Amino acid sequence: MIGIELVKQLRRNGYWAVLGSLAAIAAVVTVIIATTSAATPERLGNYGSVIPNSSGFTMAAIALNALLLFLIPLSVAIFAGESVAGEASWGSLRYILARPTSRNRVLASKVAVAGILSLAAVLIVSVAGLLFGVAAFGWHPLSVIDLQHASPFSSGVTTLSPFAALGRIVFATAIVAGVMVSTFSFAILCSVLTDRPFAAVAGGVLLTFVSRALDNVPGLHALGPWLPITDKGSGLWTEVLFQPTDLGGLPHLAIVQVVYAITFLGAAGLYFNRKDILS
Amino acid sequence: MITIEWYKQFRRPLTYATLSIVAAFSVILTVALVATGSGQTEFVGDLPLLIVPRTSGFSVPIIALSSTMKFFLPLAVSLFAGQSVAGDAAWGSLRYAMARPMSRSRILWSKATVAAGLSLLAVAISVLAALVIGGLAFGWHPLSVIDGSTSTPGHPQVDVVRVGALLGHLGIAALYVGAGMASIFAVAFFLSTTTRRPLVAVAGGVAVTIVSRIFNADYLPGVQVMNRFMPNNDIDLWQHLLTRSASLSGIPHFLVLQAAYVVVFMGLAQLWFTRKDILD
Repeated sequence: MIGIELVKQLRRNGYWAVLGSLAAIAAVVTVIIATTSAATPERLGNYGSVIPNSSGFTMAAIALNALLLFLIPLSVAIFAGESVAGEASWGSLRYILARPTSRNRVLASKVAVAGILSLAAVLIVSVAGLLFGVAAFGWHPLSVIDLQHASPFSSGVTTLSPFAALGRIVFATAIVAGVMVSTFSFAILCSVLTDRPFAAVAGGVLLTFVSRALDNVPGLHALGPWLPITDKGSGLWTEVLFQPTDLGGLPHLAIVQVVYAITFLGAAGLYFNRKDILS
Repeated sequence: MITIEWYKQFRRPLTYATLSIVAAFSVILTVALVATGSGQTEFVGDLPLLIVPRTSGFSVPIIALSSTMKFFLPLAVSLFAGQSVAGDAAWGSLRYAMARPMSRSRILWSKATVAAGLSLLAVAISVLAALVIGGLAFGWHPLSVIDGSTSTPGHPQVDVVRVGALLGHLGIAALYVGAGMASIFAVAFFLSTTTRRPLVAVAGGVAVTIVSRIFNADYLPGVQVMNRFMPNNDIDLWQHLLTRSASLSGIPHFLVLQAAYVVVFMGLAQLWFTRKDILD
């Protein structure tokens, strides 16, 4: 069932276009930085700073940082929003349900495939950044400046050996993927609620915007830790690259994402099981 | 022809919904400001420029335009431009429009005119709604602006901008942002002639905005060489109108850039649409 779904989705051009443009943008950013301003420091998240030509690993982090705000959430919303509503808009959803499998299983396999593709979207950004970065700047130790802890007494520089840097980039990518869980779940819920993929994708994107807007209203700071996407949560992955690593916010972030996932996916499951499917 | 198209678009719920959401943004912004802290200073964009929302209703259109020009307004413009031709194709009514005794160019340009009119209307509504609601909430008073670039610690440089000057600045700002939407409009409109799925054309306009945001040297200094050619990056230059040392030198370049995007993509739309085999 999951295999069928995956093959079906991978045959569609839209998915390759999304993944391809993510990799292409990582490539273009690397080429431009390598040719014009390889020694200019780049910011990572709220406090990090790296010099691109010091190591190829910087490009993986710069690519993640540049695409995290819009393009990765948009890709996740596209994969999740298309999953059920895409089928409904083709009018083939009712034929799928005619197969002798439960609706839960159909939905679960669709969610699993959308999840794999969303994970691929996050992965491709850091993998492409890493490949192009190493090709341009080489396999060297990664130095990251922690501007929050830089002071006259400490330079705030963390230097990681290539393999340690690789491990930490993998960990950082996993945290970025984790932050996308709430967006993903909400787009799945929207996808079940509507027959129009556009509305479902827009719903997922809207969640990130509303959440970020609320996060930035000065009087609503108490709300911050409970919102699905915040500046703080989105910037947490840069902590992985710092020494000492302050991952105190990670358990809370994980719990919030899991609670949103259970709520939205649970609602999607309930609705999909009871829905009168006409398309 | 333009009139017919205008009436057709105006009967669509999508048009109303988009324009109302643009207006509603100003209402939500004002309510949020009143509820949370209109006495706190707010930065205008990325400039060292501070205003206190409560002192004058004119702060609301400034904040509203600053926060909508980089995503919400481009999205609204992409919707109007992306829907215009592909929307008809999706309904299957494009070929009937072609059956009317009129050249394809004329049909295309009347659709473009109406979509452009709606796009400008969205920009105007964004400013006007904020001006009215902000004024109702905080009054139409002269606005005090703290210019951080000429201030020293302990001696803030406060400029009081009169109401007439504020109206002038806002008018120029609205025109500038309206002109800055032209590139996104042209891309979405061109895509609208190439597809029968409005979603693709709308997404194309949004994608251009997002790519522009990624290749923005304010956030990614390494891409400085691309910055000047990105369609939406210099859209914030109008904010300099409020500073003492107004640096408006980038404005002509930005307007020329917009014109270049319009010529290229509207030209492509014309070429494509007049030669296309229309089946929908």
